[in-house]
Amino acid sequence: MDTSNPAVFVNGGLMRMYVGRRIRTVIQVIQSDGGGVTGKSTDGHQLVVKGPQPGFPLTTFVEVIGIADTDRSIRAEIWNNFGNTFDTQSYNQLCQLANGEFKHLFI
Amino acid sequence: MYSGEFDGAAAFAGGGFMPSQATTVPDPSSSFSKNRNVRTLLPMTVKQLSELSSNDESSASIDGADVNTITVVGIVCDMQDKEPQFIFLIDDGTGRIECSRWAHEQMEFNEVNQISKGMYVRVYGHLKAFQDKRSLNAYSLRPIIDFNEITSHFVECIYVQLYNTRLRGGSSNQPQMTNSNHLKEYNAISSNHYSFDEGKSIDQMVLDFLRRPEFLANNNGVHRNVISQQLNLPMDKLMEALESLNENSLVYSIDEFHYKSAVNA
Repeated sequence: MDTSNPAVFVNGGLMRMYVGRRIRTVIQVIQSDGGGVTGKSTDGHQLVVKGPQPGFPLTTFVEVIGIADTDRSIRAEIWNNFGNTFDTQSYNQLCQLANGEFKHLFI
Repeated sequence: MYSGEFDGAAAFAGGGFMPSQATTVPDPSSSFSKNRNVRTLLPMTVKQLSELSSNDESSASIDGADVNTITVVGIVCDMQDKEPQFIFLIDDGTGRIECSRWAHEQMEFNEVNQISKGMYVRVYGHLKAFQDKRSLNAYSLRPIIDFNEITSHFVECIYVQLYNTRLRGGSSNQPQMTNSNHLKEYNAISSNHYSFDEGKSIDQMVLDFLRRPEFLANNNGVHRNVISQQLNLPMDKLMEALESLNENSLVYSIDEFHYKSAVNA
């Protein structure tokens, strides 16, 4: 068992706590071009995701796992399509719980 | 061949599985066989698994509950085919754990063949430990199709941990309920007690308690042990709340142990 490289659940607002660290988040894709993917976080912030894009087309909701470059941008390592419907509200609350009282279950 | 007349009640009555058997309280004195009879299914994060205390290889417990079967949700980051054993390395974002799946029948091979690297999967299995290394003996691995299941799994991990440590009355390493009561209470409590989360912080709970008429009338205040017991709060959480309320002049302490609401004082 190896817990040395966790990816913390974050939303836009929580990213500032983990700049330089490995994070995971779900975004709603707004735009995708050469500069990267622009998306909306589950708490309504605009995030930019850079890095080699996956070979498959992205669905509306995408999970990105990577390093938080700044409090609003991510350097992606892994992209996971989460489909065209996703409960962002629950995910957002999970991010808050996972970084609050229940942080010890995650990192 | 199917005779066409199937009496369901007769088929399941007498001899077969009776509901009362599920709620039988196992003999608390049989501590080793307890692990065989009392089965728990706990959603867990790999981080939690890595921190499990265990007395010996065959029994582990967390927050007072026996750990038998667990379920994790994560990404398959590596796969090894050592037929009939298939080894999957699952990363759930909190850590990585090895899961072995043994396949002997076609159905089991079909299940394994559905899994590929990079996919999110749900794993059910038994925790096994070998020379300090913990892994899962998986008996079910299936791809995640609806990704809300990921959110749901982690929220469940949080809920179960909360339930086992706080809602169930607190002390860890003391299994106070059997698994069957667990299940009934879990379902009942989820509808009744979940409201603690919405709007009522611990501070508010303590304040409301001290504002009860019988305590307002009592000039000697309420002993903190009484508050802790009545509200099922561990003492450190209670003291945090009392200190915060004290700072905000909502309660005051009479001596080190008795507290009174400052309202109507």
